[in-house]
Amino acid sequence: MDRDASSLPPDLTGEDYRAHVRAWLAANVPEGFLADRPGYRAPDLAACRAWEAAMHRGGLTGITWPTAYGGHGLSLREHLIANQEIGSLALPESVNSLGKELAAPIILAIGTEEQKQRYLPPLLQMHEIWCQGFSEPNAGSDLAGLRTRATKDGSVWRVNGRKIWTSGAPNAQRCLLLARTGVVEDRHRGLALFAMRMDAPGVTVRPLRQMDGREHFAEVFIDDVVIEAEDALGAPDQGWSAAVRVLAIERATNRMYRAWRFENELNHLVRTCRSDAMLAHLLDGGTYHRRLAETVVDIEIVKAHVEPVVERLVAGESIGDRGSLMKLHWSEAHQRFAALALELLEQAPPGASPEVQAARARFQRIYLSARAETIYAGTTEIQLGIIGDRILKLPRGR
Amino acid sequence: MTATPEERDGIIAFAETARHAVAACAGLPARERARQLAGDGLFGILAPEAAGGLSLNLAFAMPVMDAAGAGLLNYPLAETLLVGAAFGATPFGPAIVLGEKIATIAWAGRAAVAGGKLSGTVGRAPLADEADLLLVETDIGAALVPLDAPGVTIQPAFGLELETPEHEISLTQVAPVALLDTATFATLREDALPLWAAAIGGAAERCLALALEHVSTREQFGRTLVSFQALRHALARQKLAVEHVRAALERHAALTAREADEARVAGRAAYAAATRFGIGAIESALQLHGGMGFTWEVEIHRHLRRARTWEAQGDAAGLHRRLAQGLLTANT
Repeated sequence: MDRDASSLPPDLTGEDYRAHVRAWLAANVPEGFLADRPGYRAPDLAACRAWEAAMHRGGLTGITWPTAYGGHGLSLREHLIANQEIGSLALPESVNSLGKELAAPIILAIGTEEQKQRYLPPLLQMHEIWCQGFSEPNAGSDLAGLRTRATKDGSVWRVNGRKIWTSGAPNAQRCLLLARTGVVEDRHRGLALFAMRMDAPGVTVRPLRQMDGREHFAEVFIDDVVIEAEDALGAPDQGWSAAVRVLAIERATNRMYRAWRFENELNHLVRTCRSDAMLAHLLDGGTYHRRLAETVVDIEIVKAHVEPVVERLVAGESIGDRGSLMKLHWSEAHQRFAALALELLEQAPPGASPEVQAARARFQRIYLSARAETIYAGTTEIQLGIIGDRILKLPRGR
Repeated sequence: MTATPEERDGIIAFAETARHAVAACAGLPARERARQLAGDGLFGILAPEAAGGLSLNLAFAMPVMDAAGAGLLNYPLAETLLVGAAFGATPFGPAIVLGEKIATIAWAGRAAVAGGKLSGTVGRAPLADEADLLLVETDIGAALVPLDAPGVTIQPAFGLELETPEHEISLTQVAPVALLDTATFATLREDALPLWAAAIGGAAERCLALALEHVSTREQFGRTLVSFQALRHALARQKLAVEHVRAALERHAALTAREADEARVAGRAAYAAATRFGIGAIESALQLHGGMGFTWEVEIHRHLRRARTWEAQGDAAGLHRRLAQGLLTANT
């Protein structure tokens, strides 16, 4: 697409852009989409696709991407503004976040001009949903041990292997695939990235039922799958190192709305409890004051880790591995909050109002899904390792 | 972040000056310490130019408080900065900024005012036994009291902090020399929060450096301690805690610079982060020292004593209650 189809007025920045985002959301959020409002019904995949495509036309996604690839050519400041406004509403999570926040930044960094033209617009228009094919049964946190092999066969690549915990695979049209061109002993060398078509012969997806009952992640079997040379991203030896650089920034900038969504959840919890005489009494009693206040502070700290990162990146400075600080804090604080919400709402008396029941359902979902937050995108233990090794630069010891 | 490059350079220069000044005055008697720190320009950061100050915003005081925390400065520095600024238009401002008068604040308690005279018991006043002037909350704002005035009795308060010890002061019909209105004193209390946060952040970072040094050199089981992942992760969490305090202070400074409404909550959050995560980091650094950590000689307990005292002076417990109450009120 082009921006011709976009309803975003040109040259809108800063607070003017915020006003546009607010007005657009007020006018366009579909009925029943907000999880903290009466009448909420979890949207299905088609509804989510249509919604995200509409958000793109409204100028709320692809904000920093060049206009040549369907983006809006604005700065990270506008990206932050959109995230603050989107986060403050209880909107559904993106069904294409891996495309928008993982694949696309890597394509923008190492893709050819032709690849950017070909992959990016369909991604923003939600014609192509992407999944991430990194983890394997024997290579989870330790990606350097991965075994999926890509071998050159004339002008094409032939790939064999198996991926697991592949988020979004059941709905995806493309997979950002990490495969090895050399031997396992090469560790981080000889890893290459591909944009694999999920409908290619030899790709089999087996959804995995998650502990929260959803089937968002999957096993992906790759049997002699042919990948065209035009779908290889970057040179075989450069793809991975470039991806690592991109990922360090992405860890800090993706899902930037988290602090504001967290705040939305906290306000929803308190509002709901205050609507019920017994829960209101519990809150007013003071037993929960400390934990509520600590949640307020936790959210302020998430914001404090996000906002300066934007300013530094806009100023062209390096943020190193600072994304690990935010990810680690947010995931742990959000788990603490989810446990608090569950504890409070499960004390609701029998016959509680529909509002309380709806909140119970939302926070049960949040409590369960939060268990994954300290595991995905680098576990807590991996983040602690990054902080120790790369930020504190601890000696190895002997 | 929103500071200009010149401002950033200025803040870095302040940090350097403050580190040297704090180190240089260690071991001096209180009065000489005051004159020396004043001579290095540390007392006038917030005070108006008419009082010999620099009239800068709170962001410039942060590196100085950080250095004071890290360097175990024995002086009521936050109190000096705040009282010097609040009374900048009176003769007391310049005297404080120049280090001629030592000022402190009774952070707890409130005096009653009758016929223009103050009576009551106030507490949590650091170094009151060596100070000249005491700022006391009253039922109509706050009042500055000379500590050598008739009707003033100073007693040690036996708090955790031993080097800049707190005192309780009984006031009987004491005549104040200057007054602040309620709103000004409330602002002063809010401004103290990020100052304490910076001091606790500096202390936590110093303790992290000590712990890192210890585990990098000490050997057990035939290996240096830093090779054990459990200890590396503990250090990483200490670093995370220090960065929480820094990030929260940076955000407070940015919001203050743009005069945003959220600045007040950000200042409270920075202080709450310091008292929760910063103090946690100090305790963790002590733990990593093993038995050494429990000795008088290792300085970590001195940081811990101070940080816990700042936590009490700023009424962190009450602050949490107010934060919770604010949340409840906003969602009614």
